[in-house]
Amino acid sequence: MDLTFRIRRFNPEAPEGKRKPYWQEFTLQNVDETDRVLELLHRIKWEQDGTLTLRRACAHGICGSDAMRINGVNKLACKVLAKEVGAKVQIEPILGLPVLKDLVVDMEPFFAHYRSVMPYFINNSAEPARERFQTQHDRELYDDTTKCILCACCTTSCPSYWANGDYVGPAAIVQAHRFIFDTRDEGAKERLDVLADPDGVWRCRTVYNCTPACPRGIQVTRAIGEVKLAIMRGSPEGIIKEGVGEIATSSG
Amino acid sequence: MAMSDYRTNVCNVLVIGSGGAGYRAAISAYQAGCEVVVLGKRLRKDAHTVLAAGGINAALGTVDPEDSWQQHFADTFRDGYLLNNAAMVEIMAREAGSAVLELADWGCDFARLPDGRLDQRFFGAHKYRRTCYAGDYTGRAILHTLADKAEELKLPVHENKYVTQLLVHDGACFGALAFDIHTGERTVYLADAVILAAGGHTRLWRRSSSRRDENTGDGMYLALQAGLELADMELVQFHPTGMVAPEDMAGTLVTEAVRGEGGILRNSLGERYMEKYDPARKELSTRDRVALANYTEIIEGRGTANGAVYLDISHRPKDYILKKLPRMYRQFMESQMLDISQKPMEVAPTAHYSMGGVVVDPETTETAVRGLFAAGEVSAGLHGANRLGGNSLVETLVFGRRAGENAAAYSNGIDVQIRSKDVIRRANDDLSGMIREGGELARPLQRAVRNTMWENCGVVRDEDRLKQGLARLAELREAAKTVDVRPSSEGWQDLALALDLRASIASAEATIRSAIERRESRGAQQRYDYPDLSPDLMVNFRIRMDENGNQTLSSVPVPEIPAELQEWVEEDPQLALNGRLLE
Repeated sequence: MDLTFRIRRFNPEAPEGKRKPYWQEFTLQNVDETDRVLELLHRIKWEQDGTLTLRRACAHGICGSDAMRINGVNKLACKVLAKEVGAKVQIEPILGLPVLKDLVVDMEPFFAHYRSVMPYFINNSAEPARERFQTQHDRELYDDTTKCILCACCTTSCPSYWANGDYVGPAAIVQAHRFIFDTRDEGAKERLDVLADPDGVWRCRTVYNCTPACPRGIQVTRAIGEVKLAIMRGSPEGIIKEGVGEIATSSG
Repeated sequence: MAMSDYRTNVCNVLVIGSGGAGYRAAISAYQAGCEVVVLGKRLRKDAHTVLAAGGINAALGTVDPEDSWQQHFADTFRDGYLLNNAAMVEIMAREAGSAVLELADWGCDFARLPDGRLDQRFFGAHKYRRTCYAGDYTGRAILHTLADKAEELKLPVHENKYVTQLLVHDGACFGALAFDIHTGERTVYLADAVILAAGGHTRLWRRSSSRRDENTGDGMYLALQAGLELADMELVQFHPTGMVAPEDMAGTLVTEAVRGEGGILRNSLGERYMEKYDPARKELSTRDRVALANYTEIIEGRGTANGAVYLDISHRPKDYILKKLPRMYRQFMESQMLDISQKPMEVAPTAHYSMGGVVVDPETTETAVRGLFAAGEVSAGLHGANRLGGNSLVETLVFGRRAGENAAAYSNGIDVQIRSKDVIRRANDDLSGMIREGGELARPLQRAVRNTMWENCGVVRDEDRLKQGLARLAELREAAKTVDVRPSSEGWQDLALALDLRASIASAEATIRSAIERRESRGAQQRYDYPDLSPDLMVNFRIRMDENGNQTLSSVPVPEIPAELQEWVEEDPQLALNGRLLE
């Protein structure tokens, strides 16, 4: 079958006066319905226009580098089949971050928010003789949020983030959640303090865009809600009654 | 910026590679008081380690208290068909426990037992349950823990940096030259000590469980260029069942559990051919035999149009498949829209792991070049002729840690480091020389390398085809000299591909040269013309490269096993070298 791509282009090195975003169409022939959008973008790049610029690394849905807006919804291009997009597909860079070129955005503001929540394990008590125990129940509490691959699909689908780039954003909260609800971790209070900031969790208006946007199937809005509750109660203890269980994700 | 210009960065310990081994090395070097810089070709949480699924071995005995590090040693050594470096295996087995516990202490989300201790499960060819795991994403859990730790320590991780050459003067390494894949900007990284942790070369086969443009043998090439020897390059593990479509997922693993749950292998004639290769066990035969059978059917023309055989589980009810093989069901549904409860899958053997690599000192991981260390898949010695599942992740931690500690000790111990301007200039000139207009493109040539390795140095080899492969590589090496490399609007990807190609051809050549010389079938090395194991070949083949790129081969006897561990290896009376489980 044929498939037409409508792609949002931007060239920062274009001559003065022409340096603004524009749409360009490409048509590919002999597209198989199981071809993935990432491969098809490569075909455009290799066969039609070598200047088309995009990020990709693993092509397995693990690295999170090829997040883009496909028919208006944030997705990983390596996880979307031609069959899912119809005869004409619209591709744009993810929103809310500065576009560097074509589909490539500057991820630094996103990673700055990520770093602000101390996304690493904190435990300063004496080292255990052998290991820190953790029950299966406690291990389950933060299972869902360990799946995050920092692709930014959630944060850049959030209208609150579009409106205010200082908002820490769903992805950073998910990362914080992974440690806040880890019973072995001792940094919960500091993280909750960071997230209680006016640009922390309270910018979330539960629009729920983030949850369907997550290619890993993380219950993002739920995680944000749990962090909100932890801030109000002053502690993460007892907030999650049981793990959310296995959410269907693909190649894992 | 003029082409010859470069930035300079100075640190004590430079780590090349941001996978499991690289991060672990960087952390221990920093903790030993050194300033560290980590270079990665990709983004910081996107090294190949994330694809490791199954688990990490340590004889912690949480489930089977009778387990011991000696037993882990014995299992590893036997299944390496006795070609392993015993000292490395001993270090790995002794230190695996502390390495895993340390990682758990850094917050790694390993699965737990009901009483809160670490859970351990069986993995192929282990005597006891000693594999810790985090679902089917253990590698990701480990890499994220290490990357988070590096973040906590504020270790600089320079992303998208392609290292083109190790800087060596008078037998000592003083840094590396790298360029930024996006901007092309060059940086001379000056360091007291350098740790090479840049992965293997299994992407050189047409079907590979590696991702595109990774494991291209570039780490091995850096070592050859620096005058180091590579060992055991012929020993490449093939997994019997990988996907063949879509094209960009070719080689992705199809779990052995499909066969465990009753999956049947058939060729394009509909024959259940495992009845011929192993009438008793059929599909449940050992991995090397199944890989051999699948490969033979395909090569002899009884495969599908896609160069595969059929693996059929559709006789099982859909509910059963959804319960037992949910991930496989999703994998085929998402990538091929194939319902495996209705139709057979197409599978083919896939190159999975490089047992060979850089020769290192087992204790310190130092190479023959002073101040240059190596750890992880890029190094040789631990796995012998066959790697046990779950041993590669523990290798990255145990030897990564040792590399970091010893590189730091070296850095702290030296008074003066000579930094040869001439060496830097030549490295820079070499890189500039790669940028030129030419009549060839890197990608098709890289594809030709992969086809050559698949057809001439695949699962089963013979002298004629290996020699044809060598001749084909020589042609490709000539063609690669006129590869077109220019900066494109998206950056310097062309240059990275051209360098990958140069490295791939050299790594492929080292592999074929060693494969020709190993005139026997042992573990991952299978020969049509030498179908039996040769007791005389208790040697490791080594390759080095001269300044003109010409390779020479030598052989050294496999090191002796310590007397006190001998009994552990011999303990099992049915020590049968032929037909053991691969992985």
